[in-house]
Amino acid sequence: MAANLQQQRSVNEQLRREVGVQRIQVSEACHAMMQYMMDHEADDCLLSGFNTQKVNPFREKNSCTII
Amino acid sequence: MSESAITASNVNANEKMQSLLREAENLKTKLEEERQKLNDVNLSNIAERLEQIAYVNIKPRKVLKGHQAKVLCTDWSPDKRHIISSSQDGRLIIWDAFTTNKEHAVTMPTTWIMACAYAPSGNFVACGGLDNKVTVYPITSDEEMAARKRTVGTHTSYMSCCIYPNSDQQILTGSGDSTCALWDVESGQLLQSFHGHSGDVMAIDLAPNETGNTFVSGSCDRMAFIWDMRSGHVVQSFEGHQSDVNSVKFHPCGDAIATGSDDSSCRLYDMRADREVAVFAKESIIFGVNSVDFSVSGRLLFAGYNDYTVNLWDTLKSERVCLLYGHENKVSCVQVSPDGTALSTGSWDYTIRVWA
Repeated sequence: MAANLQQQRSVNEQLRREVGVQRIQVSEACHAMMQYMMDHEADDCLLSGFNTQKVNPFREKNSCTII
Repeated sequence: MSESAITASNVNANEKMQSLLREAENLKTKLEEERQKLNDVNLSNIAERLEQIAYVNIKPRKVLKGHQAKVLCTDWSPDKRHIISSSQDGRLIIWDAFTTNKEHAVTMPTTWIMACAYAPSGNFVACGGLDNKVTVYPITSDEEMAARKRTVGTHTSYMSCCIYPNSDQQILTGSGDSTCALWDVESGQLLQSFHGHSGDVMAIDLAPNETGNTFVSGSCDRMAFIWDMRSGHVVQSFEGHQSDVNSVKFHPCGDAIATGSDDSSCRLYDMRADREVAVFAKESIIFGVNSVDFSVSGRLLFAGYNDYTVNLWDTLKSERVCLLYGHENKVSCVQVSPDGTALSTGSWDYTIRVWA
C-alpha cells in the first residue's frame, strides 16, 4: 500500500508538471514545422533526388565501358 | 499494533489513495483542456494548398545477405558507408553498404540481439537483447572484437533499444523491464534510471537540436514519453495509439516526434503545441508498424510494416506517397543514412536492403 501511494504521488507530480508545460497555438507550431521542411527540401536526396545519378553513391556501376 | 490500529491505518491509507486518484483525474482533465485551448487546426489543413509530392525516385540498390535468421536492428555508421546489423542468429555483422561486403562478424553468446548502435566516433558498437545486457565492442579485427568486449549495463528484462546520447562515454538503453537507463561506459555505473512507463519500452530516440538532454521513448503501454535526461523526469507524454508503440523518432526540426504502432498507424506529435498533429493511416493498411524514420528535411516519413512493405508518407499532407516492395517478410527496421542519401531496411527475411 505504501509503495502504491508513493507511486501514485509520483504520477500526480508528473501530471502537475505536464499541466504546467508552456504551449503554443497548433497552427503556429505547424507553420514552423512546414517552414523547416521547405528550407531543407533541396538537401533531401530521398525527396528531391540527386542532381545527377553520378553523385549517388549507391547507384549501380555501369557495366559497359568504352574501349 | 492492535487490530483496530491496523484497520485505522488501512482506512487512512485508502483515503489518501482515493484522494490522490481523484486529483490525478482532475489533472488529466485539466491537461486535456489546456491542450484543447490552442488546438485551432491540424497539420494537413495547413498544408492543404501545398503541392503534392509528385514523384519520388527511390530504387532498390543493394541487398546485404549473410544473416541466418531474422534481422532485428541496423544502424548506419557516422561514415555514411557502413551498416551494422544484429540478428536473431546471435550475430553482429558490419557491412560495407557500397560494395555489400561483410567486413566483420561477431557471434554473441545469446540469440535475439534486438538492438545495435554505432558510437559517435564510429570506433565502437553497443548491442544487446535477450541477454538483458548492453555490451560494447571495439571495431577492430574479429578476434580482437570478441576478446575486448565489455558489458556496460544489465536490465532485469530484455534490452530492446540502445543509443549513444553524446559521446562514446555514455549509453542510453530501453528495456522490457519498463525502464530506460543511462550508463557510463568506462565504469559500467548506472548514471540515471527512467521510471514511468507501465509496459515494455520498445524504442528510444535522441533530440537532434539540443545539448543532448532530451530523449523520447515508446512503450507497450501505448504511450510516448519525452524525458529530461538530467532530472530523470517525464516532461511530456503523448497518447493516442490503440496498441504497442514500437518505434519513436524525432523530426529533424527537433520540435516533433513520429511514432509507429501495432495499431497499424503512425502519428506525429508536436512538442511545442503539446499534442498530436497528424495521423498516418489508411483503411487498407491493417498490419502493424515496426519502425519509422524521417528524410533529412522531415517531409518524408518512412515506415516499415508487418505486411513486408515500406510506406512513404508525406509528413505535411498525411498522404501516402508510395510503397517500397522487395522484402519477403516483416520489415523490422528502417533508417535513413546520416547524410540522407539512402534508406536501409532490415527484415525477418534475413536480408538488409539499401534504397536510394
